[in-house]
Order: sequence, then C-alpha cells, then structure tokens
Amino acid sequence: MQNIQPQYNNKVLVIGGGMGGIRTALDLAEAEKNVILVDKAYAIGGLMTQLDRTFPTNNCDLCTLSPNLSESSRQEFIELLTMTTVKDVRGEKGNFTVLLETAPRYINLEKCTACGECHKAYPECVRFTPGLDHRAPTCMRYPQATPQAFSIDLAKCTDVEALMKSCPAGAINPDDMGRKREVHCGSIVFSPGGALFDPSHLDYLGYATQADVVTSLEYERILSASGPTMGQLVRPSNGQQPKKVAWIQCIGSRGLQKGAGQYCSSACCMFALKEAIVTKERFQDDIETTIFFIDMRTMGKDYELYYLRAKNEFGVRFVRSRPHSILREHGKENLTLTYSAEEGGANLTEEFDMVVLSTGFRVADDVKELALKMGLELNADSFPKTDGFNPVVTSVPGIYVAGVIQSPKDIPETMVQASAAACMAGSDLGPVMEKVEREQEPLPLETGVVGEEPRVGVFICDCGENIGGVVDAAALAEYAGTLPHVAVAELKGHGCSRESMQQIQETIKAERLNRVVIGGCSPRTHEAKFQEVIRRAGLNKYLVEVANIRDQVTWVHANRPQRATEKAKDLIKMAVGSVVRAQPLADHSLPMNKNVLIVGGGITGMTTALQLANQGLKVYLVEKSAGLGGLATSLRRTLEGGDVQAFVKDLVLRTESHDNIQVITRAIIVDHSGMPGMFKTGMQTGKQMFYRQIEHGVTILATGALPNRPSLYLLDECEAVSTQRELQTLIEDQPGTVKAWDNVVMIQCVGSRTPDNPNCSRICCQNAVKNALHIKEINPDARIFVLYRDMRTYGFQEEYYLKARELGVIFSRYTLENPPKVEATDQMVNVTFTDPILGRQITVTANCLCLSTGLVADEDSNDELARIFKLPRTGDGYFLEDHVKLRPVDLPIPGFFVAGTAHSPKTIRESVAQALAVASRARTMLAKDSINLGAAAARVDKNICAACLICVRSCPFGIPFINADGYSEIDPAKCHGCGMCASACPAKAIQLMQFEDDRIIAKLEELFERNIA
Amino acid sequence: MDNFEPVIVAFCCHYCAYTAADMAGSQRLSYPANVKIIRVPCSSKVDALHIVKAFEKGADGVYVAGCLEGDCHFKNGNSRAVRLVEYVQKYMDEIGIERERLEMVMMSAGMGYRFAQVATEITEKIRKLGPSPIHAAISL
Amino acid sequence: MITAERKPLEELIEYVRPYKRILLVGCNECVTVCAAGGRKEVGLLASGLHMALLKSGSAIEIREHTLERQCDPEYVDELVSMIDGVDAIMSMACGCGVQELARRFKGKPVFPAVNTKFMGASERQGVWAERCQGCGDCLLGKTGGVCPIARCAKQLMNGPCGGSTGGHCEIGEDVDCAWALIWERLKELGQEERFVEIMPAKDWRPGGGSGPRKIIREDLAE
Repeated sequence: MQNIQPQYNNKVLVIGGGMGGIRTALDLAEAEKNVILVDKAYAIGGLMTQLDRTFPTNNCDLCTLSPNLSESSRQEFIELLTMTTVKDVRGEKGNFTVLLETAPRYINLEKCTACGECHKAYPECVRFTPGLDHRAPTCMRYPQATPQAFSIDLAKCTDVEALMKSCPAGAINPDDMGRKREVHCGSIVFSPGGALFDPSHLDYLGYATQADVVTSLEYERILSASGPTMGQLVRPSNGQQPKKVAWIQCIGSRGLQKGAGQYCSSACCMFALKEAIVTKERFQDDIETTIFFIDMRTMGKDYELYYLRAKNEFGVRFVRSRPHSILREHGKENLTLTYSAEEGGANLTEEFDMVVLSTGFRVADDVKELALKMGLELNADSFPKTDGFNPVVTSVPGIYVAGVIQSPKDIPETMVQASAAACMAGSDLGPVMEKVEREQEPLPLETGVVGEEPRVGVFICDCGENIGGVVDAAALAEYAGTLPHVAVAELKGHGCSRESMQQIQETIKAERLNRVVIGGCSPRTHEAKFQEVIRRAGLNKYLVEVANIRDQVTWVHANRPQRATEKAKDLIKMAVGSVVRAQPLADHSLPMNKNVLIVGGGITGMTTALQLANQGLKVYLVEKSAGLGGLATSLRRTLEGGDVQAFVKDLVLRTESHDNIQVITRAIIVDHSGMPGMFKTGMQTGKQMFYRQIEHGVTILATGALPNRPSLYLLDECEAVSTQRELQTLIEDQPGTVKAWDNVVMIQCVGSRTPDNPNCSRICCQNAVKNALHIKEINPDARIFVLYRDMRTYGFQEEYYLKARELGVIFSRYTLENPPKVEATDQMVNVTFTDPILGRQITVTANCLCLSTGLVADEDSNDELARIFKLPRTGDGYFLEDHVKLRPVDLPIPGFFVAGTAHSPKTIRESVAQALAVASRARTMLAKDSINLGAAAARVDKNICAACLICVRSCPFGIPFINADGYSEIDPAKCHGCGMCASACPAKAIQLMQFEDDRIIAKLEELFERNIA
Repeated sequence: MDNFEPVIVAFCCHYCAYTAADMAGSQRLSYPANVKIIRVPCSSKVDALHIVKAFEKGADGVYVAGCLEGDCHFKNGNSRAVRLVEYVQKYMDEIGIERERLEMVMMSAGMGYRFAQVATEITEKIRKLGPSPIHAAISL
Repeated sequence: MITAERKPLEELIEYVRPYKRILLVGCNECVTVCAAGGRKEVGLLASGLHMALLKSGSAIEIREHTLERQCDPEYVDELVSMIDGVDAIMSMACGCGVQELARRFKGKPVFPAVNTKFMGASERQGVWAERCQGCGDCLLGKTGGVCPIARCAKQLMNGPCGGSTGGHCEIGEDVDCAWALIWERLKELGQEERFVEIMPAKDWRPGGGSGPRKIIREDLAE
C-alpha cells in the first residue's frame, strides 16, 4: 500500500454515498464547507438507484435522483472516494483522524468514458449485481452512474491482456493497487444506509427454493426499465407475465421471524403499495394484486391518501393476515399460500403466480463493526443509540447519523436527517471559515450566435419506458431531423444521464450547433440542467428549449400511442420554431440579505433560530402568541422518557439570551414583498399592534399545527372523557387519581383517517402506548383497552408497543364502519366495541376514556400566511413542499422553507430533525453573497416606446418608470418577470426575455402549420 | 365531421397551471391529446394578440390557465387575465367566433386532477361545437 | 391628447370587403397612448378583419405598419415603398392622420378605422375623459382651471344651471358638474368672488365659428 499523506482537518467526513450521504455532502458543499464523501460501492446513489419508482408520486427514481448524483461528484467542495472503506477512526470532535482504504477499481477514472466496450467483450467479469441483475458486465450499476465509469472484477477475468485491449480509452489498469490514507476531519456523518433482511433461511417462505418468491427490491428491479428484464414484468420461473401477485409484509421486522429485528421497518407498507399500484397501472384488470399485512402503516404526509387510492381506485386487495407458508405443490406451476382468515381464524389457501416478500431493513455486519470501531453505543438491534430530542446526535460527540442507520425510514425522512446531520456536523467546524478563492473549472467563452443562421440540435430522451414505452422515440428523432434549421436530431436514452449530457456537449461542438431542443421531461425540473450542459459547450444558456413530451404526452396519453406521437411531434416542432428565435441573454444578480425570518416560536422555530444564530446570522423569530414554546409547553415527556418541559425551558432561555436572535412576540404578519435574498415582511406587533417591517433573505415557516378537538365520543360533554394530551398531564400531576382506576379505554384515530380528515395524525399511536405504559407504571392492575384501526408504532416505537402488550394492555381493532359506542354513566363511560378475535361485543365501564385526537393544520393562520407569502398547501391545509421526496423542507418558492408540524404531524424529535434540516438548507442559500435573478426580465425598445404609462400603471411591483429621455425604463434587477407590462404595451415596445412575442407566435404557427394544412 | 379532433391551445402560467399539468403527468391522469400547452410565466403575460392569432391560425379552442383567485405569484396577474379574456370574448363576438371557444380557468399547482378534468371538459365542449369557423374556412 | 375608439368591426368589414389587399396603418402617438390605434391594435384589427372576411368566404391580404406620427408628411413618406399593389388604405390614427394619408396617396381609397373622440386626459389606467374642445380662446385662467366649454353639458359661461345636484350634472350620476368643480376649485384658491362675476357671452369665432382654422408661425414657416 502507498500514499500515506496527511490532510487538513476543517472537513466533514460523510460515510455512505446513498441518497442521505449525497444530500449531507451537497448541503455542506453549498454552504462552502469541505466534505470527503466515501462509499464502498463503485458508484454512489445507494439503494435508491435500484428503485423503479418512488411513492407517493410514482415518479421515476433515476429521473429525480440522477441530477443530484452528477451534481455531487462535480461540486468543488466535495472529494468523492468510491470503493473506499473506513478502517479506523481516532480522536475526538473537532479533530478526528480516519484511516481510509480504497480498493482497486482496475480502471482509470480519468480515462474511462463508460463506453461499454469491455462489457461487450467480457461480460463474464461480473462483480456484484443487486437482486436479479444478471445483465451487468464489468458492472455499472445503472446508466446514470456517478462516477461515470465501469469497475472490473479481476478475479473473474482469465485473459487480462485481451481485456485491456478491449478498452479503446486504455483505461484498464490491472496493476491498480488501491491505497490507504489518513484523513483528518472535524466531524463525521455516518449514513451507511440499511441492509435488507435476507429471508433465505426461512424455509416456509420458499425464498431459497422458489424462483417466483422474490423480495420487494427484486420485484422493483423486475419492474425497472434499467433492470434485468428491461422493465418487463415476468415470472422468474417461466418468463410469463404473472396474473396474480401477493405481497407479504413485515418479513424481517417486528420480531416476527427468526433473525428479524424487533422494530418496524417503516417504509415497507408504502413500498408494497407502490409496487402494487405500479403493477395495476401497467396491467389493469389483467393482474390481481393482494397485500397480506398486519397493520397498514401509512403515517407519512398524505400517505393515507395513497393507501385509499390503492384500495379504491386501483383495486388492490388487502388481507389482514400473516400467511404461514408458501409452497409449490408437486407438478404445479403456482405457489400456494396458506393463511388464517381475518375473522374466525379458519385456515385458507390461495394460489399465486408470484409472491413478494416485503423485507425490512437491518444493520449490515460490516456497518455494525465500523460503528463499534467509532465507539458508538448501539441498541439491541445494532442501531446507534441517539439523543432523546435530537435523532442525529449519537453517543460520541462529533459523530452524527442520518437515514436508515438511525432508525428504519423512507426517503423524505432520510433527506431531512441528512440535512440535519449536515447542520450539526457543519457547526462543529466553527462559524468562521476563511473564504478561499478557489480555482473553478473555467467555462468556455460563449460562441457568438447573433446573426448566425440557426443550427438546431434536437435530442430526444426515451427516458427508459417513460417516453419510449409509449411513443417511438427513434421515429420522433427522425421526424425532428426533417424540420427546418435542424442540423442534428438524435435519440438519447436518458438525456439527463452524465453520459448523454457529455455526448450532447460534444455534438454541439462538433456540429457547431447554436440552438438546442431537448424532447424530454418538464422544464420546471430539468431546464436548468440542460442550460448548464449547453453553457459548458460554449453556448449561452438561454439557447435551449425543453419540449415536455413526458409529463404532457407519454404520461398522460399512454392509452393512445398514435395521438401521443402526433402531439409529441407538435411539441417538438413548436420548440424548434421557438428556439430559433431565442437570443443570448445575461443573468442579473443582486447582493444577498443574510438575515433570516422565522415564523413560529415553538421547539422547531427556536431550534432553527439557535443553529443559524450560532453561525453568526441575524435571526428574527416571530411568534403570534405572547411567549415562546408553542404546543410543547403543554407536553410532559416523550415516549422514550425525555423531559419535555426541561428541554423547552432550556431552548427558550438560550433563544431569548442569544445576541443574534431578536424575538418578536404577539406579531401578526400582514404583508410581504421582494424576492429570494431580499424579502421585506411587514407585521403588526405587541399589544398596540405597531407596524414594523423586516428585511431578510430567507423565510422559514415553523408555525406548527393545532391539537384536534372533534366533538366525538362525549368529548367536552362528560368529565371522564379526555384527550391523550390531557391524560398525560393528569398522570403526571394526579397519580393518585390514576391509581384508583380500574378500567381505561383509549380510542385511536378520533378525527383522523375519516372522510373529513383522511390523513393519519402519525403521533397518536405512540402517544397511546406512552400513556398506557405510564398508567401501568403507576397502577399495574389497571385494565387498559386500546381500540385501534392500525397500530402505527413505526421504527423503534414498535418495541414500546410490544412492551405494552407484554404488560397486559389489550389492543383491539375496530373498523371505520363499526366504531366503538360510548354512553355516560355517572362519572364513568360505558364503551362498547366488537372484538374481532372473539367475534362479539364487549362493554367496558371505564374510569377514563381517552381519545387520540391528533393534530390538524392551523387553518386560519396557514390560510393567511399562504396568501401573504403565495405558498401552496396540501388538501388538509399543511404547507406543500417543493418535492415530497427529495426536497421535503424546501418550499416551491425559492427562499422559503418549512419545518415541524407546519409540514405535517410529527413527534418532537422529528420536528427537531426538520428544524436542523431547514437551518442547513437555509445556510446553503445564505452562503452566497449574491442572488442570481435569471434573465426573464422585461426589456423596452426605446425607439418605439410611446411613453404612454400603461406599463408603469400595470406593473404589480411598480418597477417601470418614464426616464429623463422620455421612454419607459425597467430595471432588470428589480423586474419580477411576470410579463404583465409586455402584454399590456399598446406599442409592443416591451418584450419579456425568454418569453418574447415572436417565440410565442412561432409556437402557434408551428402548431397550426402541422395541424391545419 | 365525425372524426373531428379539435386543436386546443392552453396558455399555462408557470407557477400554477403548468405545474398542475406536470402533476397530472406524474399521477398519470389521462386527458385528451388535443390540448397543447404553451408555458408563460404568468397568465397576465398572455396578450390579446396571442389569443387572436391562435384563432387566426386555426385553433378550435383556447384557454388561459392561471393560479387560483388571490394566489397569483405576481399579486394580481390572474385577475388581469380574467379581464383580458372577457375583452377578447367581446372581440370574438364581433368577428363571429363563438365566445365559448375561449375560456379562463384557475387552478393551484397541486391540482393535477383538476388540470386533467379541465382539459377533458374543454376538449369535449369544443368537440361538440365543431371546428372553429376559421379552421373550417382555412380547410376549404 | 386626442382620443379615439375603434369602430365596430362590422363597419370596417364593409369598407374593405371589395378589396384584395389593404394597408393598415397605425400611429405611435395619441392613439397608441389611448390604446386605440397603436402597433398592438393594428395587429388585432388585421387578424380580426382577416378572420371575419375568411368566414364569409373572401380572402384579404393585410399589410401592417405603424408610423411614428400620421399627421406629418415626412413620416407618411415611409409608406411609399409599401403602397404598391395595395388596393386601399385603412388608418387607425385620428382624423388628422386619415386625411394626411388621403392627401398623400391619390387614387387610393383611405378609410378610418377609429372614431376620433375628443381631446382628453387619462383619469386612470384605461379611462380617458374629455377636457378641451379647442375653443381658441382659453378661459381656464378665470374658471379655476376647469373648462366649462368641454365639461359642462350646456357649455354655460355662467353656471351652474338648475340641473346641478350634489356635484353631478343632470345628464348622469357619473358626470361631474363643471360649475360645481369650478366652485370647489375657486374656494380652494380663496377666489370665491370670481364665481359671482358675470362672464360675457363667448365669441365662438376662434373656435371654428369663422371656418377652418390654421396657425402660421412666421419664423418657422417657409
């Protein structure tokens, strides 16, 4: 081994290059902090790269992910080390020394172009393939891999010489030795992700013996366009399309099988729902989908709606049962599932073509070993123990966790923790960072195109099956080639993949293109990406137009391929017509205001405020009520036993005494203007309601949610009826009362998961378990009945649920159609419910009936704020984030962020994680000294302006004015780019850049030239 | 005209209607392919000239889709668009094109379902109306 | 500023129906400012005429052009290169522009596309109101800056009349009584006494009573 070299220690080491690790690294890099990102695989991306689609939007994963991946390897602050493992960690917070070992790739990353020639010549050199992927060669895991290079398994190679010759780039180096080196870092983010439970040893499930029994990840690979079957859903045993598919939940979770974890894996229910929906979408009535489950745990934001859609719209069948075996009878092709009937318990059998095992997460052995090496305290399931109020803080100062390693979770929660860990780890490097002028890869000079004959390059993406599965993408490219001014028209697999983008750049240069059209997905998500591509090829970035033939054609007209093809042609022709009129434009920029406005002074708002204030930023913390603390001031302890009051008191104290935080109470926001980086928000404050205005660069909404209080089950009518929150106070303050109780009944989902409020309130199940355990502590003889619909004790909450059952708490399921009935009898409540196991009605006379009423959005406040800030909300009134999967705390309007229960119901720890995450996201923006305003500003032709004042009067922001020369002037740095003045101008003297009239008219002309001729 | 497939232009504001169209896409909500979207930053960017030109070129229907009342990203662009559409409808009366062929609709960014529904309803309405008189005259 | 409003399309169609090719001319001055005949209105009218005629089975070619000012011959010269092959001209300028085109292009029929309305001011976006009738003998200095000729329905020199109620003219609630305005204004100026002075009968000759008017500036005129 060679190259042991010391490094400087103002860095963060991120271990694991999955979605979480990438997010952490990007957040830190954007906040201008140095990162070393190590991953043991040969390409980053982790588990998500193997998914076909993600819930709840059913977006293609790679489409949403790949722009992030390529971003990650390019960032100047990130050193990416793949095929690298951490061998040793020494030192302490602020000064860790880490020994890294990089395995030989046998390929020179600088030279490899990922052409695939080695793969064609020597497919046997297979290194590792997830699940069923028997196609991969020298193994690139997916077409958009980062780094964009292959990796060779030398052990499987018999003729090294020949293999080397197969590479046209001369990139194969059999003498690659790998290397060891020591790095120093101030803090470490540990995000190695989870391994999946291997069900091979469970012979009754037949996974090891039956080809048609697959894990949910393998099923995902079969569905995936980049998978082994190219997206064809077929049975592994015979290659036929299955007619009946079953999913079995909780394999390897909830302590149900040998070797299973005690916890709930949290993501599998949604995972199975998604797979069932995607399957139904493709084959409709041609396929039957059945999910066998115990509790349907769809507790995420709007997840319940997804569940309802699966059931009601897609006809997915749900059976509440744990199948006890999967067998294939002799001579039969199908699998026989044996399970107990939901009611009555009779043994039933049913045949299926395929069975999918929803395998849960676990901690991989090597990860556990590394965790111990780092000195992390682990729980019984080998997950690192974390702080009671801050889920990313481990037992070792300076080492943080994010993602599945903290506790099993889905992607949005991983993204939140990744940003939260970035916030914590970044803070350890200290607030002052000397700004080093870095050498940036210089951009080529822009080629002059004005006056040149347009030479358009059209690149059509097939986007896997997304576009290519509906329309003939090659024929589209051929058609585009016939259009006027089009010099090149080519088909690209995934235009957004690194490889394609490279090719596009080369084609632009080779063919001297001066305009580009991408036929692909939405310009909303990908225009910026392609602007950058053409800029790197020497073109002004505004010379590209994206024709949205996916979101507007193939995704919505899949059932009519002929019409879809025609429409795709129209959109491409329109884009070409428009782009030939595009002119090079310059971006405008303004200095960034680095103050922060946080709305809401609860735990979330205070946590964010402290993080940002500690980084030297000025924070205005605005609270509607008279004091800080929010809803948490009425809470006592957490499920894990944390003292909420002490925690809140400490936060309030630190917030109020912080020099950089100005707390403004009794404040109501009344107006808002400006743009990201230079907002102005007006509010009325104090008892006198004085008006004041604050200037700030970012806005963070931490406005919380309200406790729900529906008039159900005698609440507010009978003294023995309370909510979980009230019960908690009672238990703490009057243990004597609790000691005297004989019977306690809790009803779950009161006011949640109903037609009026369809979503799950997420916190109630653990609340009920928490209070039940606490009652049992004081009064072990009390009989406690929890009437539930699905127990949603996700993650490690499951262990408390188990404990409650062990202590004799009775959990009895009810249905929405047959809710419990209550009746007041002096001081007590009679609760009557049907027990599904006994199959008969039971009446309990309860000393206390406790209702799990959950949270609802603060309709009045949120409505008001959404109007003032122009922010979208979900159907049930919470703020709607920009991307439910990848940008869970960013709001769609740049410069706005949301955290805590204003986003959706969540626990205190989850709110703290989001609070830290928004602090990190806000920092990425505030690290910049100027704001790029883009180029979409209105421009006046002074030669034809009649100085009529119509623009001056119509601009909603008061920007145009008639200057001393007697014509209208519009400051591009102040223009918001709506185009109102341009459309109103009677002299047609104003054009809005990027949306010029001639481009809009050209689109119309092109559209109708094709259609009316 | 049994097989009449109208051509409909939808001017969609970037912040709401265009986003809603993307939402319809990601939710795979099907709607007629007759609707072709032209993206504008705000519904108020749509000029009377754009609408009139669309009909002149042969559009059978045109609609302007903006944000919900009070939700315009640019304060009041959508209510200006409402007034513009009414103004152009009067001009269409003069020209002799049924004013039903032009419509203003409003939706929020999250309303993928509404986008698909509006596209379907307007297409059906225009299909019933038949080809626009201008379309018919050009095709002669 | 001179204000104008587009004529009903029906009337304009009849003007141009006999022709195959017309030139539609806008003006970048007053009619642009009052949104009646600028570049945008030219575009809208061209499309409207084109469509309306297409419907009735006749095709027409419309060339569009907007001049800086239609009432000056030098600007009008710009049209010379466009006039060949044009059967008729339609002007979106005020009456002055229409007549200038008619004078300049002999043998080409010239039609007005707008009704010239009045000399007025912009009250707010999209609203214009009459302020001056060009009487040739301005008396605003005596009436507190409010013109009774242009703004009193009866053009009274000594108002108000009995129809003035609550500041409104009897012809409509939305019409201010000019004399009520004059009173308010004089009060503000502390010149109430002017209100009771009797003004002599107006000499209407400078206002066109003695035939078409002309202004000659000797120093400029050649």
